[in-house]
Amino acid sequence: MNWSLFFDLTVSGLTLGSLYALIALGYSMVYGILKLLNFAHGDVYMVGAFLGWFALHGLGGPLNPDFAGAAVLFLMFIAAMLGCGVLGVAIERFAYRPLRNAPRIAPLISALGVSIFLQNSALLIFGASFRDYDTFDLIGVKTYNVGTNLFFSVPQLLTVLSAIGLMAALTVFVARSRLGKAMRSTSFDREAASMMGIDVDRVISATFFIGSALAGAAGVMFGLVFGQIYHFMGFIAGLKGFTAAVLGGIGSIPGAMIGGLIVGLAESYATGYLPQGSTFQNLYVFALLILVILIRPSGLFGRAVIQKA
Amino acid sequence: MKKSIFALLVAALAFAAIVAAGTSGASTKSEASASTALVKCGKTRTIGFMGPITGPAANIGVEQSSWAKYFVSKYNKTHKKSKIKLQTEDTQLGNPTGTAEALKGAQALAGNANVLALVGPAGSNEIVGVTKTLKDAGLGWVSGSSTRTTLTTDGTRTGYMFRTVPPDAIQGTTAASYMIKTLKVKRVYIIDDQETYSTGLADTVQSRLKAAGVSVTRDGVSQQQSDFSALIAKIPRDTQLVYIPWQLTPKGVAFGQQMKQAGKGSIRLMGADGLFDDTFAAVGSNVYDTNFPVNPKSAIIKAFKKSHGGKGMYFGAPTYAATQVVAAAYDKACKNGTATRAEVRTALKNTKIPAKSSVIGVALRFNRNGDLSTAHQFGIYKSNGSVFNPVG
Repeated sequence: MNWSLFFDLTVSGLTLGSLYALIALGYSMVYGILKLLNFAHGDVYMVGAFLGWFALHGLGGPLNPDFAGAAVLFLMFIAAMLGCGVLGVAIERFAYRPLRNAPRIAPLISALGVSIFLQNSALLIFGASFRDYDTFDLIGVKTYNVGTNLFFSVPQLLTVLSAIGLMAALTVFVARSRLGKAMRSTSFDREAASMMGIDVDRVISATFFIGSALAGAAGVMFGLVFGQIYHFMGFIAGLKGFTAAVLGGIGSIPGAMIGGLIVGLAESYATGYLPQGSTFQNLYVFALLILVILIRPSGLFGRAVIQKA
Repeated sequence: MKKSIFALLVAALAFAAIVAAGTSGASTKSEASASTALVKCGKTRTIGFMGPITGPAANIGVEQSSWAKYFVSKYNKTHKKSKIKLQTEDTQLGNPTGTAEALKGAQALAGNANVLALVGPAGSNEIVGVTKTLKDAGLGWVSGSSTRTTLTTDGTRTGYMFRTVPPDAIQGTTAASYMIKTLKVKRVYIIDDQETYSTGLADTVQSRLKAAGVSVTRDGVSQQQSDFSALIAKIPRDTQLVYIPWQLTPKGVAFGQQMKQAGKGSIRLMGADGLFDDTFAAVGSNVYDTNFPVNPKSAIIKAFKKSHGGKGMYFGAPTYAATQVVAAAYDKACKNGTATRAEVRTALKNTKIPAKSSVIGVALRFNRNGDLSTAHQFGIYKSNGSVFNPVG
């Protein structure tokens, strides 16, 4: 057994999985409350990556920043998360709220339309060329050798720790805060929650804000680890985030986190161990989705629900 | 109900068959009429230009466009009775939508009767995508960068396509020879990006290395991929060289940076002409590349550098040659004041530009396939940490 390869693949998988988990959380939270698959979510992640890039260059750029590296990174995250949060609220307000009482297919189509709108708006505004985060000088291309040929880098460590921190904060928020309680009530029964005096519109807006902010953070992490961002990067990432949400149990927050990590690790191990793994990594990931749906349709942490006819 | 649906299906299939039969005949007829349509040359002639001005491969497109415009400005200064202008179509090579933009550009040029030939496209996959459109319109084209060998040898573009760069059969052989004889590597990892240009080069290099007893591992990535960490984890640490004949410089740069992150920055990296760019050279001083054998000391290149802030943009130099070839063909065909696309194609085939007037250092003459009959080698370049310098 090549332990060095296994460790490298695990680190790579956890890094990727952290990004997918953050994206999947947005899908799960929105589905839990509205029973809506927000297919524009991957493109919110793309917008977050661009907001982080603009914040970086507004603060002097990677080679000559106006502040210390840590401060610049913090501000990049804040800019991306706030910007994407506001974008998420705007999308909900204008593209989904008017269709709340329409047949389920209508908001789904609207979500696809928003996705295409965001991709092409990014193409128009940012152009088709790749943008480079180029933050290796800012945060250093330090690679830590933790054993005999076991390496991980600063951007990877930052990504995994940040994702864990954000997921932990979300879990505590949903479990302990008033708004979190309201979100859980609304996801359980929207009508009853409304009758109990909960401002359902406000709760839904907050859900979109939080989910989109997490996607924005994931976008910045992507730029830090992999360097390049472009207008179409949200498409496949969004699909994989959706896969993670379904795998974990759509509507379940812990399920989204675990699902994201599983998808990231599966992609990494498939690349490393399966034949033509790098070429067909997407094939293996989506085959996993099909397998899970066939064996356990409600996902790993989801519950089978009996619906009245 | 079932019978009527069946009848409708049969009728639809029959209609489709009739339309297909009809349009194939029409295609041949329209190609013939487009080729022979007589156009008044006029004082200002329009040359088509297709290149990736924006998109993931914009770095090469901008260089090619700069060299093409440089030729146009020089031509217009030295010619009083005729001027040329470019109709530029952005192909966005490497865009996730594939060659859709290239096809749109080809259709736009085909639809402009004043365009009698064009320079470009840049990518081998783009040429495969636009061949039918350009041929149907009777347009010949001269590419300054598409190197896939079979483009000119498979017989589908004979008489239409010409190129001012040697094919990959030469580039791949040059790269493999350098690895074997100069670098003396014994363990090589080859990764292609699944596009026709890349797989062709990778196949050539792989077969040459294996024949010389070098241990070769082959893998592939998608052009849309940004995370190479798992793939890099597979590359054994005792690998001596990783060969990435990719089309998109940003991907090559990302790969090199992720290699460093994974603690494998000391492994030599070699790209192909698609990655010939200062940003790829900046990845590190153990980075190599192959590119067209332009002579940095040539007077044309020195003058270009002077007018472009000291930048040679060597990748784009063969596009200067391509524009020169097309302009010469226009001059020949337009001698009597009118020309057809067929006449310009004939003039392209019979191009004879001497070496002293050619930016690539060899005379510009084509063999019957459309390849240069005078260019037989590629150059090898090594990075000094910021730019590529010739080493072989």
